[in-house]
Amino acid sequence: MTATAEAPPTDPPTTPEPETGGSRLAGLGEVVLRWAGAIAGAIIIFAAILISKGTDPISVFTDTWSATLLNSYSVQQILIKAAPFALAALAVVVPSRAGLVNVGGEGQVIVGAIAAAGLDLAFGASLPGGLMLLVMLLGGVLAGAAWAGIAAVMRLTVSVNEAVSTLLLNYVALDLLLALIYQPWKDPLGSGQPASRPVEDAAKLPVFSGTSVHLGLLLVVAAAVAVWAVFRYTAWGYQLQAVGGNPEAARRAGLPVTRLLLTAMLVGGALAGLGGAIHLTGVEYQLRPGFASQVGYLGFLASWLARHKPGAVLLAATVLAALAVAGDSLQLDSGLPAATANILTGLILIAVLGWTGTRKKASSR
Amino acid sequence: MHPLLEVLGYTITFGQVKANQGVDFDVLPGEVHALVGENGAGKSTLLKLIYGVYQPDSGEVMAGGKQVLIGSPADARALGIGMVFQDLRLVPALTVAENIGLALGGRFRLGLDRVAERIRAASEEHGLPVNPDRLVRHLSIGERQRTEILKVLMTGARLIILDEPTSVLAPQEVESLFAVIRRMRDNGYGVVIVTHKLNEVRAVADRVTVLRGGQVVLRGAKPADHDDASLVEAMVGRRVPPLARPRTEVQETETPALVLQGVSADGDRGHEALHAVSLTVAPGEIVGVAGVAGSGQKELCEVALGLRPPTTGTVTVSGTMLANNPVLGALKAGAVGIPEDPVADSVVAGLTVLEHMPLGGRPAPRKGLGIDWAKLATRTREDDSRAGLRMAPLYRRVAELSGGNIQRVVLTRALGGESTLVVAAYPSRGLDIANTRRTQELLLERAKQGAGVLVVSEDLDELISLADRIAVMHDGHLAGVVDAAGADRMAIGQLMLGGAEAAVDAGTTQQDATTQQEEGSAA
Repeated sequence: MTATAEAPPTDPPTTPEPETGGSRLAGLGEVVLRWAGAIAGAIIIFAAILISKGTDPISVFTDTWSATLLNSYSVQQILIKAAPFALAALAVVVPSRAGLVNVGGEGQVIVGAIAAAGLDLAFGASLPGGLMLLVMLLGGVLAGAAWAGIAAVMRLTVSVNEAVSTLLLNYVALDLLLALIYQPWKDPLGSGQPASRPVEDAAKLPVFSGTSVHLGLLLVVAAAVAVWAVFRYTAWGYQLQAVGGNPEAARRAGLPVTRLLLTAMLVGGALAGLGGAIHLTGVEYQLRPGFASQVGYLGFLASWLARHKPGAVLLAATVLAALAVAGDSLQLDSGLPAATANILTGLILIAVLGWTGTRKKASSR
Repeated sequence: MHPLLEVLGYTITFGQVKANQGVDFDVLPGEVHALVGENGAGKSTLLKLIYGVYQPDSGEVMAGGKQVLIGSPADARALGIGMVFQDLRLVPALTVAENIGLALGGRFRLGLDRVAERIRAASEEHGLPVNPDRLVRHLSIGERQRTEILKVLMTGARLIILDEPTSVLAPQEVESLFAVIRRMRDNGYGVVIVTHKLNEVRAVADRVTVLRGGQVVLRGAKPADHDDASLVEAMVGRRVPPLARPRTEVQETETPALVLQGVSADGDRGHEALHAVSLTVAPGEIVGVAGVAGSGQKELCEVALGLRPPTTGTVTVSGTMLANNPVLGALKAGAVGIPEDPVADSVVAGLTVLEHMPLGGRPAPRKGLGIDWAKLATRTREDDSRAGLRMAPLYRRVAELSGGNIQRVVLTRALGGESTLVVAAYPSRGLDIANTRRTQELLLERAKQGAGVLVVSEDLDELISLADRIAVMHDGHLAGVVDAAGADRMAIGQLMLGGAEAAVDAGTTQQDATTQQEEGSAA
């Protein structure tokens, strides 16, 4: 009998952290299995839809597979598409750490691109190319942060739910884009379509030689690593987690809750803004209607698929990009309507998310 | 005479935990049988087995001399077993008659007039005054409890099980509850009362059964045959020496640990929850806060920690008047808090025990932009061994711990290190006797090292044995401050229930209170 009291039976002496190497590996296996199961389920449902349309699903799948993943052009397309998805997803990841829901990636991406394009219009001719590119990317970062900041300030001063305000600001950003390219920024040398003047060649993102993949991809990976490191190693990342996990506990700890919520939102917006600037300088080169359309929403989904983990976000963004590219080839090769590809994407998303949902419930028991 | 209920060899296992192991228990008509034991000793499990919520793995149960099967609470009620739960199960928006009518049930129409008539008759018979027409929402906790007991009696119960009925009551209300229990006993009812307070066992029980670790360690004994020390030993499994309480002289000249001057504050629902409270806690002094639940204790603690802004008045922690950013101000002045609801107010989902430590207010060691977790772990281990509450391992997630283990994390964080002011709301909530004792010792140690301690407790005996002075709250007012040494429980109880006549009965108390208030308004 020791000097201290024995814990009663329902208060058992607690065991050490169960997260050993073995179980972590088992956890990874489980994740892979979960994804595989969900995607298989979605594909089976999709096959049923194809059959009902009188198409042979096997040939559609093999055609799509070879056209997407066995084709170097398509792989490049996937990487190019994945870049803004990943940044838009990181724009959800950071605020979510503090318990905030940022649905405004779409608008923040557009505003980032508008800022970059505007800077190019204003100073493009007077600054050396490399410096111009840097200024444009920075402008995108600041504009994205400012756009998200509007929602953050509304939340912190007049308690407007940030999920609603960020969503509504998406429409404002889109209208802003259209207003600019239909009138003041319309390219006079263009084909008559509403679009801004293409950015100076010197201010375009360089590409990996022999490909169409721009170097912005490195920035995307760097951003994900940076977010991961900030979460893991900085006091700020820790404090965000405390605020997100229990705001009352954070308040009682004397943490600057308001400042933490604001900065989380600003950083999120900055990442999306960077995504917009990269997409402009690396892929599209000019603003047009439908610029980066759906990027913010797909990024939102990527973040949820990755359970708001910065590393997993890269993978989720790539998967979504692959689905988008596969959808293009589906449309072209099988003569299926455009909506078919969206059905496949939607089915997979719902399957994966549904699966994570039930799992979460089971583990919280 | 057959027992109303006799349980033989009840055993039930949850996972690897034998929650009840070969438990024998019986209740005779016309007796009060106390069931005592620590948290986790298996009392609640036994009650749920008796009431048919759980089914035993093995064992049998007899009612009135015949073997029966209790497969559900409905079966239990049919056998005349009635349960009064700790969290009273009444619908606040309905009247007493409507609530009882619902329980009587049977027909589509409740026939409320008849129900009300029956309630009046039954409340006369059992000495349980309730007004059938009042909304439950407007009843005090004591009245709700009476309603609940009446409901159980009117549904035909012969065996009444009361699960920790006194935990929410003021001493006077406890007395009248015991009067009701004695009356039920005299009328031939069997009563089981679950408690962990020995003075209640002595006051009302004919027999006592002690559970420990799911087993019966003392069966159906007469309380008079055992002294307190041996009953505690039965509950805890070892001897618990009485609390050594060195009283230190309070230095009047020192900066007070806490000064509240004319503090009023609103509660969560916008009503005034604290009214013109003036109170001073000196360094080295322990001030207990007594009061019926919801009399402003929570708000008092929050105001002292800067968590709730006063509408009027000032709060000064160790010489620092709380103004802008009061939470940080209080923490920087050396205040630590033990929240009323640790799960809601302290536990952060996903964070480990170690990661909860910086949230106690003491600055964590830094390394560059980050926190020096290794250094913090070393400091936390030191705190843990100093506190001696055997906190859960540092890398366990706190949200996965049981309530008692969470409380030990919160206590170790608050009491393991230096502080100038300790604000402890119900510090021993969820703890067993040994850890409760250790927590009390820690509060004394903190005071001895110069901290002022403000401690809220439902247990008047705990406050009397621990505190230098006891501040009694009633309806947001400071009804009085009494010296703990030789304090009169009944006088404190009068203050808890409020009213000017109460203060007169309490004698010196009123004087204390007015002195405090004068000090407040003079400054």
